[in-house]
This record gives sequence, C-alpha cells and structure tokens, in this order.
Amino acid sequence: MSDNDTIPLHPSSQSDIDEIESLIYATPSATVLPARPPSPPRATIPISVPVSTSPTPPSPSPVPPSIPITVVPTAPVATASSTRVTIGSDGFGSPPNTLTEPVWDTVKRDLSRIVSNLKLVVFPNPNREDPGKALRDWDLWGPFFFIVFLGLTLSWSASVKKSEVFAVAFAVLAAGAVILTLNVLLLGGHIIFFQSLSLLGYCLFPLDIGALICMLKDNVILKIVVVGITLAWSSWAAYPFMSAAVNPRRKALALYPVFLMYISVGFLIIAID
Amino acid sequence: MDRTQVVEENYANPKTCLFHVLFKGAALAFYILSALFVNNFVIIFVVTVFLSALDFWVVKNVSGRILVGLRWWNEINDLGESVWKFESLDQESLARMNKKDSWLFWWTLYLTAGAWVILGIFSLIRFQADYVLVVGVCLTLSVANIIGFTKCRKDAKKQLQQFAQQTLANQFTSSLRTAFTVV
Repeated sequence: MSDNDTIPLHPSSQSDIDEIESLIYATPSATVLPARPPSPPRATIPISVPVSTSPTPPSPSPVPPSIPITVVPTAPVATASSTRVTIGSDGFGSPPNTLTEPVWDTVKRDLSRIVSNLKLVVFPNPNREDPGKALRDWDLWGPFFFIVFLGLTLSWSASVKKSEVFAVAFAVLAAGAVILTLNVLLLGGHIIFFQSLSLLGYCLFPLDIGALICMLKDNVILKIVVVGITLAWSSWAAYPFMSAAVNPRRKALALYPVFLMYISVGFLIIAID
Repeated sequence: MDRTQVVEENYANPKTCLFHVLFKGAALAFYILSALFVNNFVIIFVVTVFLSALDFWVVKNVSGRILVGLRWWNEINDLGESVWKFESLDQESLARMNKKDSWLFWWTLYLTAGAWVILGIFSLIRFQADYVLVVGVCLTLSVANIIGFTKCRKDAKKQLQQFAQQTLANQFTSSLRTAFTVV
C-alpha cells in the first residue's frame, strides 16, 4: 500500500499528489443510489482501526471537475446535503461521525424497526393505503420471533407430543410463508420475496395473541371466539398488501391460500388440548 | 531473532473476534452436546436457532464492519425493486485492516457452514427430520452471511478497480503513476 509520505520525484508534482490524496480521502467507495426519502437511519459501528489520517471532508466533498468520478460523496453532516441519497452508507465512509456509535444503538434501531413494522402491518394506520410503500424496511426478526412464539405456545398447550407439535408448527408456518410468496410471484404479482415473507410473518401477531389466550384459558367456546377474532384480524392485516401485489382479477387466487393457512393455524390452536 | 517475531500483529479487535466466534461456537456446541443431555427437542431447537440468529446478526452488523470493513443489506427502492447494497471502507482503511482479524472472520464463517453441513448429513443418515430442520435453519443463516460478505468483497474490489482506472485515465503525469502503482 502506498506510503503517503513519499517524496515526489518532481517538485511540481507535489500539488498533483495532494490532489490525489484529497481524492482518496474525500470520496469513499459508496454505491450510487437513487434518491429516495430517507429510511430510518441505519446504525453504523465504530471502526476501531485508527483512521486518524483521513480528514473529514467539511462539506459534501467537492470533486475536482477534471475527474469524472461517478460515486456520490456521502455527506458527513447529516442534515447538510441535499443530495443525501442514502442513509445507509453515510458514516461508513466518513468514520468520525459514527465512531462514537455503540452496538447498543444498532440493537435499539433494529428493535424499533421491528416495532414500527409491526404497527404498520397489524394496526390501522394511514400508511396502509399505500401497500407498496409499507414494509419497505422489511426485516425477518419480527416474523422469526412470532413464528417461534406461536410454536412455543402451541407446544406448551399440548399435553402430549410437544416436540412434534412445535416442529410441525414451525415447519408449516415457515414453509407456508414461502409457498404463499411463491404463489403470488407465480401469479404474476409484483412483490419482493423477503418483503412478503416479512409481511406474512408479522400478520401472525394476532394469532400469537389468540394462541396465548387459548393457552391460558381452556374453554372451548372462548377458544373458538378468540381464534375467530384473531383470524379475522390477521386476514384483515394481510389483505391490502397481498391484493395490491397482484392483478385484480387474480386477487382471490392470491388471497385464498393466505386465508386457508391462517384458518388451518386457527384450527390447530383450537384443537390443541 | 525473537525481537522481530514479537512485532507481528496481534488481533486488533479481540473482543469483536471473541463475539464473532462465541455465538457460532455456542450454537454448534449446544446442538452437539444437547443430544446427549437434553431430551426436549423444543429446547434444542429454540436455543440453537436463537444462537444462530444472534450470530447472524453479530456477524452482519458488528464483526463484518469491524473485522473486515464490509457491510451488506437489502433495500427496496421507490420503484418497488429490491436492491442489494454493499458498502466497504475506503482503500486506506481497508489496507489497514488487521490480517489476523480478517483471516479469523472468513475462516470461521466457512468452517461453521461446513460443520453444519456435516451435522446435517448425520441427521439425514439417522432420518431425524426435526433435527434436519434445525440444521437447515442454521445452515441457511450461515450461508446467507457468507454469500452476502463475499458479494460485498467482490463489489468492493470492483469499485476499487473502477476508481483506480478512472483516476489513472485522467492523470498522466509519471509521478502520479508512481503514486498509484502501489494502490
């Protein structure tokens, strides 16, 4: 790796070397990204390798006009740049900003993303009108927790064959989510695979609540009522996203398997004793 | 001479290296040992998969950045398309990355995936479908990280090449070329 203290071969080239050095430090390798409304800022981890020699560019780095670099310099100051195209890459290329951010912040950020995704999918809110934009920041942690929780609840409720119940519940839910997503994709729908997985996982939240209640109270009538309510809630949660993804004439084809899966999970909850 | 040998670099981030290895090792150890001690499949499943998921998160968000200076994630842009984003430190910092750190990072990733494959084969041989499920989930998480970081590293190299080519093409004084030959 070049040692930047090299003595230039010719006195006049020092300025060129300076120019190049400023280029190296000023333009981090960032991908060019389309402008989009900022998503929740992503946590960045302090790099403990000392990067003391790289000066923080004071403003969105002015690229010397002679060099047509296509990378977009990321703004070190969060609010300064109007061309701040991505939150994700900021801070990573300009270390001093994020060196102070600890791991706990990343954890908090991920947790808050789970909560916001949950609120978006399961509870009534204005963003449901535009399903394409919702769940833009998909994550699979929420679905993971909900599926495991549902499996655990079912397993606890079962008096025999607990392990099988758990394994079956987990496998059915996971495979079901994947198959439902494939179903939408094969029907010519426009949905991202992981976004749909994430959505179907979050829509399990009402069924989780239903299963929990059923586990605590063992009354059959109560179970049927509770499962019916939570089933309707789950279906209502999943409906706009799934139906928006496909051609209107094929809406029923896409939605019917979703209802079927939730109904079968509901039966599983009722039938477990 | 002992003096010169002491100068070789040590791990620059021992705590991160520890965490990087900790959850992987814990998941594998728990899975292997639990077959001997714990009768309850549910516990084995949940704990192993949870440790694997934690490991996935740690590798992706913490040790990837600190040990090798790479990061990858997926975003959905305005057009509703899924875009994989890769990010790497600039050349200066990348070159300063501790060699031992990155060696540990990559090799433990590969070894863990290999270990899960072997364990999966054992489970298959014994026809234990539920254990295959556990191994399948853990393997998926490991492989996802491997693929993500490998793509990220390739992307970083490609960007580096592009950057170097562009600057080379525009600067044609000989002193600049010598400044860049070692990039």
